[in-house]
Amino acid sequence: MMKKNINILVIGCLLLTSASCKKFLDVNKNPNGPSTADPALYLPSIQTSWASGLQFDARLIAPYIQNFQHATAGISYDIYGYVPSSDFGGELWRSVYWKSGVNTIDLLNGAREQKKWDILGAGLAMQAWGWQMLTDYHGPIILKQAFDPLKNTFDYDPQDTVYAYVKRECLEAIGELDKKTDAIGSPLFTKFDLIYKGDPLKWKKFVYGILAINAHHLIKKPGYKPDDVIGYVDNALASNADDAIVPFNGTNSADANFFGTLRGNIGVYGQSGFIVRLMDGTIFNGMKDPRQPIMLNPSTDGVYRGLTPATGQSSTVSATASGVRSVWGTTLGINAVPLGTPGKYLFQDKVGFPLMTYASLQFIKAEAAFFKGDKNLALTAYKAGINASLDYVRTFTADPTAIAAFNTQRTAFLAEPSVVPTDPANLTISQIMLQKYIALWGYGFIETWTDLRKFDYDPNVYTSFTLPTTLYIDNNNIPAYRVRPRYNSEYIWNIDALKAIGGFDANYHTKKLWIHLP
Amino acid sequence: MRKILQFLFVVCGLLFYDAPLFAQQKIITGTILSETDSKPLQGVTVQNRQTAQKTQTNSAGFYSIAASPGHQLIFSFVGYGTRTIVAGNAPAINLQMKAENKDLENVVVTALGINRSKRSLGYAANDVKGAELAQTQRDNFINGLAGRVPGVTISGTSGMPGSSTSIQLRGVNSLSGSNQPLFVIDGLPVNNQTFNANNMVAQSENRTVDFSNRISDLNPEDIESLTILKGPEAAALYGIDAANGAIVITTKKGKAGTGSISYGYNYGIEKVGRLPEIEGVYSRGTNGILNNNAVNTATNSPIYFGPKYPAGTVSFNNLDNFFNNGIVNKHNLSFDGGSGNYTYRLSTSYSTRSGVVPNTKYDRINISLTGTAQILKNLKAETNLQYINTKNQKVSKGANSFYLALLSFPTDSDITDYLTASGARKKLTTAGTEIENPFFDVNKNKLNDKGNRVISNLGFVYDPLKWLSLTGRLGIDVSTNEYFVLYHPEANPRANFGNTNGSLDISNQVNRVITGQYFATVKQNFLDNKLKLTLRAGSATYVFDDNVYSIRGENFLEPNFNSINNTTTTTQRTKSIKAQKRVVGAFGDFNLSYADFFYLTATGRNDWTSTLPESSNSFFYPSLSTSFVFTELLKNSRITDILTLGRIRGSIAQVGKDASPYSTNPALEAQGITGGGFSYGFTAPNPLLRPEKVTSKEVGMELQFFNNRLSFDGAYYKSKSVDQIINGLRISYGTGFILKNINGGELENTGVELILRGTPVKSKSLLWDASVNFTKTDSKLTKLPSGVTEFYNSDTWLFGNVRNGARPGGALTTLTAQFTYQYNNKGQLLINPTSGLPLTTNNALWPVAGDRNPDFRMGFYNSFTWKGINLNFLWDYKKGGDVFNGTGLYLYNLGLHPRSVQNRETNLTFDGVLRDGLENSTNPTPNNVSINPYYNNNFYSGSVIDQEFIERDVNWLRMRDITMSYQLPAKFLGNTKVFKSATIGFTATDLILITNYTGGDPGVNGTSVATGGSGSMGIDYGNLPVPKTFNFNLRVGL
Repeated sequence: MMKKNINILVIGCLLLTSASCKKFLDVNKNPNGPSTADPALYLPSIQTSWASGLQFDARLIAPYIQNFQHATAGISYDIYGYVPSSDFGGELWRSVYWKSGVNTIDLLNGAREQKKWDILGAGLAMQAWGWQMLTDYHGPIILKQAFDPLKNTFDYDPQDTVYAYVKRECLEAIGELDKKTDAIGSPLFTKFDLIYKGDPLKWKKFVYGILAINAHHLIKKPGYKPDDVIGYVDNALASNADDAIVPFNGTNSADANFFGTLRGNIGVYGQSGFIVRLMDGTIFNGMKDPRQPIMLNPSTDGVYRGLTPATGQSSTVSATASGVRSVWGTTLGINAVPLGTPGKYLFQDKVGFPLMTYASLQFIKAEAAFFKGDKNLALTAYKAGINASLDYVRTFTADPTAIAAFNTQRTAFLAEPSVVPTDPANLTISQIMLQKYIALWGYGFIETWTDLRKFDYDPNVYTSFTLPTTLYIDNNNIPAYRVRPRYNSEYIWNIDALKAIGGFDANYHTKKLWIHLP
Repeated sequence: MRKILQFLFVVCGLLFYDAPLFAQQKIITGTILSETDSKPLQGVTVQNRQTAQKTQTNSAGFYSIAASPGHQLIFSFVGYGTRTIVAGNAPAINLQMKAENKDLENVVVTALGINRSKRSLGYAANDVKGAELAQTQRDNFINGLAGRVPGVTISGTSGMPGSSTSIQLRGVNSLSGSNQPLFVIDGLPVNNQTFNANNMVAQSENRTVDFSNRISDLNPEDIESLTILKGPEAAALYGIDAANGAIVITTKKGKAGTGSISYGYNYGIEKVGRLPEIEGVYSRGTNGILNNNAVNTATNSPIYFGPKYPAGTVSFNNLDNFFNNGIVNKHNLSFDGGSGNYTYRLSTSYSTRSGVVPNTKYDRINISLTGTAQILKNLKAETNLQYINTKNQKVSKGANSFYLALLSFPTDSDITDYLTASGARKKLTTAGTEIENPFFDVNKNKLNDKGNRVISNLGFVYDPLKWLSLTGRLGIDVSTNEYFVLYHPEANPRANFGNTNGSLDISNQVNRVITGQYFATVKQNFLDNKLKLTLRAGSATYVFDDNVYSIRGENFLEPNFNSINNTTTTTQRTKSIKAQKRVVGAFGDFNLSYADFFYLTATGRNDWTSTLPESSNSFFYPSLSTSFVFTELLKNSRITDILTLGRIRGSIAQVGKDASPYSTNPALEAQGITGGGFSYGFTAPNPLLRPEKVTSKEVGMELQFFNNRLSFDGAYYKSKSVDQIINGLRISYGTGFILKNINGGELENTGVELILRGTPVKSKSLLWDASVNFTKTDSKLTKLPSGVTEFYNSDTWLFGNVRNGARPGGALTTLTAQFTYQYNNKGQLLINPTSGLPLTTNNALWPVAGDRNPDFRMGFYNSFTWKGINLNFLWDYKKGGDVFNGTGLYLYNLGLHPRSVQNRETNLTFDGVLRDGLENSTNPTPNNVSINPYYNNNFYSGSVIDQEFIERDVNWLRMRDITMSYQLPAKFLGNTKVFKSATIGFTATDLILITNYTGGDPGVNGTSVATGGSGSMGIDYGNLPVPKTFNFNLRVGL
């Protein structure tokens, strides 16, 4: 009876106010940002995240590939281990699923609706790029179930599925980029596309670049087709002008290059002994690489030295004239350097970060041609790769004297037969891989790692490449072949799916990827 | 006004005129005064028991009533009890009545500002006198509640002036959301937000900065009383915001009669509280080798694994040199009075407190004006207007704070010497990053907040008919606050978001809460007034509006000029955060009382909230409660000679909770990156959210013996919360997001609350009141969303690998830890054969490692009054509950903790077996690897897992406050003719802390109240212990 009374009262009040009530309560539309935006507006965040994803994770895999090593002796990633229970090394995961993830889906949907085929093509290309990088880094990843709003846990897809998906998505992207009608050419695309300023032709070349990488990484697989790879490369970036570079304003900590001094992240890393040996003439018949002074840092006594993996360098040695410098050229081991410290080469606040370069694709072509047995073509591509890299590196100096010295050294360098054989028959796979290694040093981390894994870190290919004698405790003396999925995403919140692919195995990171198995 | 006077005149005239008709009776007159301040009491009911004639005292405390000698006159007044006096031949009966608070007949202010007799309530409602809180002289009156009331958990963030305080009633009801109760002033909800540091441009955590919770704005001197409604019963009428209970504050009102002025002054001194023990025995270095550049790479603090300081090394007492005495100054001036049907009270207060840490200060100005008016015979109005100005200057806390730097500062360096001759920051080392000299931190980095706030409310009660009453209230609470976080160009870059050459974050917040409420009350009595029914129905509206504009700039041009105009323009970034929430509620309640011994209340409320999808934004929740005063049935039997009053009660109530604004709707966030544009934020929108529901059951008993000399109140409750809205649940990034707001998770709370009160001594000269309260709460997480094995709040992951994590089946207050020792199948510790150190497992899924929930808590209150002297003190006892001594672990890692100093130079062998392949055989190899920690400081990072610093069963006994006051006898004042009353007093707070905790203060909270869920209580990392305060005060009445 009583409850009924109350109900009547409540219902009475409800009836009186329901219409105005509904309007009164309609204040839950978030005023802090739009719910959707023009597809072009998603581009900067996605593109920047590709650069930062690779750069964050370079702290883990640059030591794996011996681009640079950590100042602390025995740090786990210098010995091919990982940082347990940590998101360290999981940034690309974050870029692909979060920073790019639903943003790209919104972008694709918006572009389709508004018939902005060029942005649609670029969006597909970027998504394909993300999956390609991520699978080469982790192996199996979440693909088919990703972004399902009704799901909170997600199954993994094997690498072959991802490879096929990337190829399909690239072909779709090309189809869109070929469209010449409707709402293409929006000024917002030009404005917000940091990489190609809304140029669909360049985007198409980029897509062919992904196709080349995607096809070429299958070199160990029975169905590998070198002609496809060569064909893709020929349709891809045609010169350094087509390089996909993510720019940085570098005015504050939010818009600066992760590798720059402002962000203060990599002062604890010093160039490896391996890259020094490749550039100071140790390996190439005493021939000094013209790029060395631009890319690497001499100790304060003028001598180029590098760190031996897992050995580090004590702060006492770092303070001496013979100490290896950080990749910025500052005292090794200190991340906080005075504001305005310029840094070096790619490790500067305002320098753009290359995702894909003409040079890297030429080396892929060289290797494919070499595999095919077409050494003439291989040598041509090889030379194009070296020259493109030399041109690119030279842009980092504006000093006429340095440029003159660079050019002189370049002539000598290219004339050195151990670098560039005159007879195509003398070209070796080791030469291709080493020159590719130098060209990609500091940015092509995943591509270089894919190569190293492909050759199982073979010092016969990678001359003088040496693994530390003691590897990480769980490695059972096998170097790293994959990186664990991001800890805080998967090891806590997606356990069952991760267990299904063996992700909880102590040696999971030493298991070979599908592409590297015959 | 004149009309009213005329009316009164006529009424009085009639009384006199009627007198001859009752020849055998005569008129007795008199004045009723308050015993405490000798002020007239208005509204005292005077009843002639024999004739049943009734009257009330007027504003001068005057009454007149007809009575014959031998008639019993009953004087009763709310809060002052009842006195019966037999009329004699004297024409006057004057009386002084004494305020009491043990009286079961007392009324309490419950939801909607409704006065209800305690005996009719079906749930526990504790009330506290404002004066009791004010006498402790704490800035934040919430801190004064600790130990005073059962079922209330208070934990302050730190001992800094203006720090925030968390208050929880009956434990944790929400996994991730706020567990703070609703604060209600004079019937209307006010804002008690704590500014969330994530609103700043460069998002920082709530662990390194602490912004005050806004309820601390109130001046304790303005509080008449507060009622604590612990269960969701309160919510039955207040709605969703009271799902965690409500604290109903009644402000002081003026008293009619001659205007009076009262002035109070308080001077206090603060001394730093209990600091952890630090052993400055060994010099900086590693493995026994001196190296002044040796630092811990994780914290940048110096490590003390060098040789012992050589004899003759000058040692500085840096701790003593750093802390100073805090000073408290408070002035309170109030003026109240009124005439006829109008009263007013104006109170002003200025309070300033500088803390024990240099450059910390909390200033507050309060102005409050209260008025009541009986406009018409049947129309009453009440209004309160408060203006509050606060300014709080604070310093860093937690990681990278001055406090940790201070504890780890080398004793062979003089801490006071922190600047070079040129005014730059003086470095401790010559290499790398290092800790910041605490003096540099507190002098050069600036954190402060400033607030201006106006709270205003207006209420009308109109009684058009004898049985009908209409009430309407409108309240506005508007505040503007400025939050300011500045890091000097030379500050530690870790706290400074990279190497920014100085950074400044400013947030300006404008917050507005408007609440409106109206309801009608119908009262009817039946069956010869034995059956009383009250029916109430009404509606409430809540409008919340919050606007924050934040700006950040970096790269200072002039290092010591603190303005955004001093930052490089290209680095400047801004952010705007708006939040709006609206709730409309319709409610009704029905009260039935039969013969003053059986009571039944049923309530129902339906809320419509703006934060949930339209399909699920309306929800109804009922409550039912009953009270049965069984002693009424035993009246005049022998039992009631002993058991004066006894009752049992029970209630069941439900409440729904809504989501945070915009949990359901996506919004893109503008990006500060190169190229700008938009991107989704961390949290996945969830358009499928439903309201969560809490159902609570409570039974209780109240007994009163020997005419009130002894009383007992007990309550047992159980609540269950389902469909918890988990804010920001971490989730697989496969969602495309990092966090998601989802419904999921169920939890249960049970608890017991007991109070025993008594007056052991009540003689003419000595009065001793004592009370003991007991609280036990237990919580259980019964379910988490599928796929989730642990819920943790990343804000609470402060140091080491121990955090506030809860796993299904366990409590909500547990700690989880990453590392566990390895054991063989016989349970023997496994030792690494190479290093001789114990082996640990790095658990991907963190096991539960401790529980912060105490076994029980007790409060002991005693008050002695002898002549004009009153001495009262409050002890707070906590039994059990684990505390993570993060500060201790930090010091251990650095070689400063006693555990890392004692036995450093002795060879030792861990008791265990080697993991050499034989560990699980019948004959495992006993560990034979001996180590000398002096030469191997891996011992201090490799041999102890973090959970060894979870201190088990931490008990404490604290003297929360002690007050001695002396009311000067009237004869002393008589000569002055200026003062009507004068009191001098002494109050000390947090004077004594007895604990088995080895660190500093186990009662601090690692993060601010902005962290939801069970927060960081019991996580001690870098928090300044609560200081001891000594106050001297004086109060005079004019």
